[in-house]
Amino acid sequence: MNYGHALRFGLHLPSDADCGAGRLVEVAGLAEQWGLDLLVVPAGTAGDDLEPSTVASWIAAATVSLGLVLEARPATLHPAMLAGAVASLDRLTEGRVELAFRAGPSAAASGTADSVAALGEAIAVVRELWNVLDRGLGRFTGRFYRLAGAEKAAPAHDVPISVDGQDQDLLRLVGLRADEWSTGCDAVALTQGNRGVDEAARGAGRDPREIRRRVTIRGGFGERTGRFTGTAADWVNDLLPLVVEHGVGTIVLDTVERDVAAGFASEVAPALRAAVDAVLPRGWSGARVRRSAVRARRLPGIDYESAPPEMAEVVEPGDPAYARLRSGYLRGGAPGVILRAATNEQVTQALAFALRHPGVALSRRSAGHGVSGRSTNHGGIVIDVSLMNAIEVLDRKTRRVRIGPGARWAEVAAALEPYGWALSSGDYGGVGVGGLATAGGIGYLARWHGLTIDRLRAVEMVLADGSVVRADDSENPDLFWAVRGAGANFGIVTAFEFEADDVGAVAFARLTQDASDLERYLVEWGRAVEDSPRDLTSFVIVPPPRGGRPALAVSRTMVDSSDPETVRARLEPLAAISAMYAQDIVITSYAAVMDNASDDPPVSHGEPVSRSGLLRHVTPQFAAVAARMIRSGAIGWFQLRSVGGAVADVPADATAYAHRDANFSLVVMGGADEVVDRAWARLSPFLDGLYISFESSLRPERIAAAWPPRTLSRLRELKSVYDPEGVFGDNFALTPAANHPGGSTP
Amino acid sequence: MSDYGHELWFGSFITPTARPPQAPVELAQTSERAGLDLVSFQDHPYQSAFQDTWTLMSYVAARTERIRISGNVLSLPLRPPAVLARAAASLDRLTGGRVELGIGAGAFWDGIVAMGGRRLEPAQAVRAVEEAVDVIRGLWATDETGPLRVTGEFYTVNGAKRGPAPAHRIPIRIGAYKPRMLRLTGKIADGWLPSLGFLPEGPASLRAMNEQIDEAASAAGREPAAVSRLLNLSGRFTSGAGGGLLQGTPGDWAEQIADLALQYGVSGFILASDEPADLNLFGHEVAPRARELVQSERVT
Repeated sequence: MNYGHALRFGLHLPSDADCGAGRLVEVAGLAEQWGLDLLVVPAGTAGDDLEPSTVASWIAAATVSLGLVLEARPATLHPAMLAGAVASLDRLTEGRVELAFRAGPSAAASGTADSVAALGEAIAVVRELWNVLDRGLGRFTGRFYRLAGAEKAAPAHDVPISVDGQDQDLLRLVGLRADEWSTGCDAVALTQGNRGVDEAARGAGRDPREIRRRVTIRGGFGERTGRFTGTAADWVNDLLPLVVEHGVGTIVLDTVERDVAAGFASEVAPALRAAVDAVLPRGWSGARVRRSAVRARRLPGIDYESAPPEMAEVVEPGDPAYARLRSGYLRGGAPGVILRAATNEQVTQALAFALRHPGVALSRRSAGHGVSGRSTNHGGIVIDVSLMNAIEVLDRKTRRVRIGPGARWAEVAAALEPYGWALSSGDYGGVGVGGLATAGGIGYLARWHGLTIDRLRAVEMVLADGSVVRADDSENPDLFWAVRGAGANFGIVTAFEFEADDVGAVAFARLTQDASDLERYLVEWGRAVEDSPRDLTSFVIVPPPRGGRPALAVSRTMVDSSDPETVRARLEPLAAISAMYAQDIVITSYAAVMDNASDDPPVSHGEPVSRSGLLRHVTPQFAAVAARMIRSGAIGWFQLRSVGGAVADVPADATAYAHRDANFSLVVMGGADEVVDRAWARLSPFLDGLYISFESSLRPERIAAAWPPRTLSRLRELKSVYDPEGVFGDNFALTPAANHPGGSTP
Repeated sequence: MSDYGHELWFGSFITPTARPPQAPVELAQTSERAGLDLVSFQDHPYQSAFQDTWTLMSYVAARTERIRISGNVLSLPLRPPAVLARAAASLDRLTGGRVELGIGAGAFWDGIVAMGGRRLEPAQAVRAVEEAVDVIRGLWATDETGPLRVTGEFYTVNGAKRGPAPAHRIPIRIGAYKPRMLRLTGKIADGWLPSLGFLPEGPASLRAMNEQIDEAASAAGREPAAVSRLLNLSGRFTSGAGGGLLQGTPGDWAEQIADLALQYGVSGFILASDEPADLNLFGHEVAPRARELVQSERVT
């Protein structure tokens, strides 16, 4: 039978010690150049055979796309060390590694049955250490191997494990645990072996199609003397039944002759693909079948089998990538599926998939840093555009740049720096472009250059009906207005066009000051900022004082100048507020300040609790209430950011971000909604409006705080035009205007 | 004064961080461009924040051309010597003789046991190192006839085929601090590889430890100079003088290093740093100046 696997072609690497580095790299390079899929790095047993994992690592560093099948004999290495080595190499190569076990006389086990049992344990140990979906330490107790609370380390991708052999016990092991069975090319052995593998697989509740079949062949071209001789057409005739009748998906050629390898790659492989296309319904490219262990983690309510196959990546709860994609920076998540889209077309398909799942939560994610946590969910669908992260300069004269939603602001800053440009973003380089540039963008250059959306000139986006539109001041101007401050309600932006600012060297000051007179500190900080020219933007964090230690204020201030006198003049009023515990003032670049982001995947649990408010002035009355809240311990995070300046130059009705008259943006975070809300209620009389990216509350009355009445009513009218069904309902969801054609009742 | 007259060389000690995986590779390339002689990596396989050290070394070897590569030090309890010997010889052949071995008896036994390794008492660990070195050198000795047989308390090899042979005589260095391990180092090792930060009295500890190595070497019929002395360093480059050991200008560093070479016989200086700027200063400024100072002192 055929199992519907994609056809793959590989080469078996000769690796005895006579085979020098140059020859190894040459073979690998040719395999890559010829378009072969993989190279098998054998674990030979001769004394002068090179050690395979060393050879595989060496070749990995000299190739860019070739798959590497590392052979291992469990007898020679502890499986935990093997797991670590393969995980490392897979990460170094961004997912090009496979692991192939050959059973053999084992040091730990005597006799065949024991050596198969030891191999089974080795596979279990490796899988346990790679399983980062289940948190905690790796444990295993077997007859041969033991893990007693070892740290897990996942490879970059789901590294397939193959097992080579013909023995009945081995076939059973393949059926139980392996991803691929490897054998010679004898048709009878294939028939019997497939039967053994399939029976064992079914007995274990697996689908036999989960297990690929690999053969290793030898041959030559020229005179026809037997199988795999003669012409390429003769080879195809020999190989076709192996594929069609015996389900072989991987064909590895073992040869030391370059001409034979070249003929195999450039003539046999394409001809066999064409022949297979002609007889098999799914053709040579086959279909991916996930392991039963992966399918077992699927959630109800999602039709996984209908996930769009063209997606860049579909990540299910059982896939290894899920561990790093499930959660956001501050919010733990457990979505049912993550659709990673890399093109407009893929976004449209992902959206269509979501529309086939009414009642299932839909979230959208650019880079997943959002404070409000809207980029993940529990049990729902996430459309992830983090792969759409291109940064392109469109026109140097007008400083026009086109940026994908998945780019992170550190990368944007680094890309713009060589031109002497910057785009004010936020205070953390790990934040993605998409979420921030559809909400506002309160960054370190806000008072001088405005909000991030104020530099936005056009967007390309996918709307609720799946259409792709451009919006700017002349084309779809209403939509362009709405995207700048309420973008999440209207679609998925797939490209942003900004006009960058000329920004040279900047001063960046990190000051840690005494805040034991907290009220006074806050008022004076606010006054100093408001009195300062616009080239200064300052953010201040006041951590709740702990354990009798003095109260501190930690400020981060950017001055868009590198002139020492100017910098000193701007910073002096801040420095004069109170005693200085630590200061660090550098002349640097905007990109260097943004280069503060971790590349580690988020491992958040739970729900963020954050509240946002905008205020005109830091009055003594506000400061008194704020100070009491900080001291009470009700909150764990208190930050004020200066806005105003250029932000306020933009008329309130020019964009959907309408609270232009605020001079400050406040965000607090805490542990529990009720506690934070109680404290927040005392502050709210001083606040007018909020910034949606910093607000985690889903209470409907927060909508009215996000947008003033005129803005809100225009937004609701547009919602009824662009998203009447409320497809995008996860982030400050607007109800469409009731009296508008297509609108529904609120 | 115990100068063994070895030529000075300089290296880096780079954190084999797993995230991002290419970071240590780039720092190894920086080390090579800085003119350093060696790049080395610590080995803590039970630590998931690190890459597998041997995999990283092999990968780095293919991405560099000249620099020598070593573990600093490899955790022997988790790296069976027969595999290590073949891996080291393979990499030595692939690199044309750029591999060196730094081995340790094992630290962090809880981590080793968690990975399935065997917990050893200090005295056992010392004996295990000796047996391991026998196995490694035995497998490399392809000019000897017959398969390798070692029957040990910790490692047993039943007639293994020898080979592959390394491309050059791979030096084996031991990370040693306590008397038993120091004596073993004098008896069998090609080098001693301690870290300055772990020496109880700083450089002053080197004198007595050197003596133990020297005595053990002599007792085994070896020249003390057969055991080269290396030292892992850490420090900070500053623009002004006046700091302590390795807390000053590159010129201060060079003088202090020359002093360590002439007084204590240290010939290999390995800087622990993941800062490209440090590696550049160490390779481009400290190393040539220290060599000059030692050269002129040895001549006079």
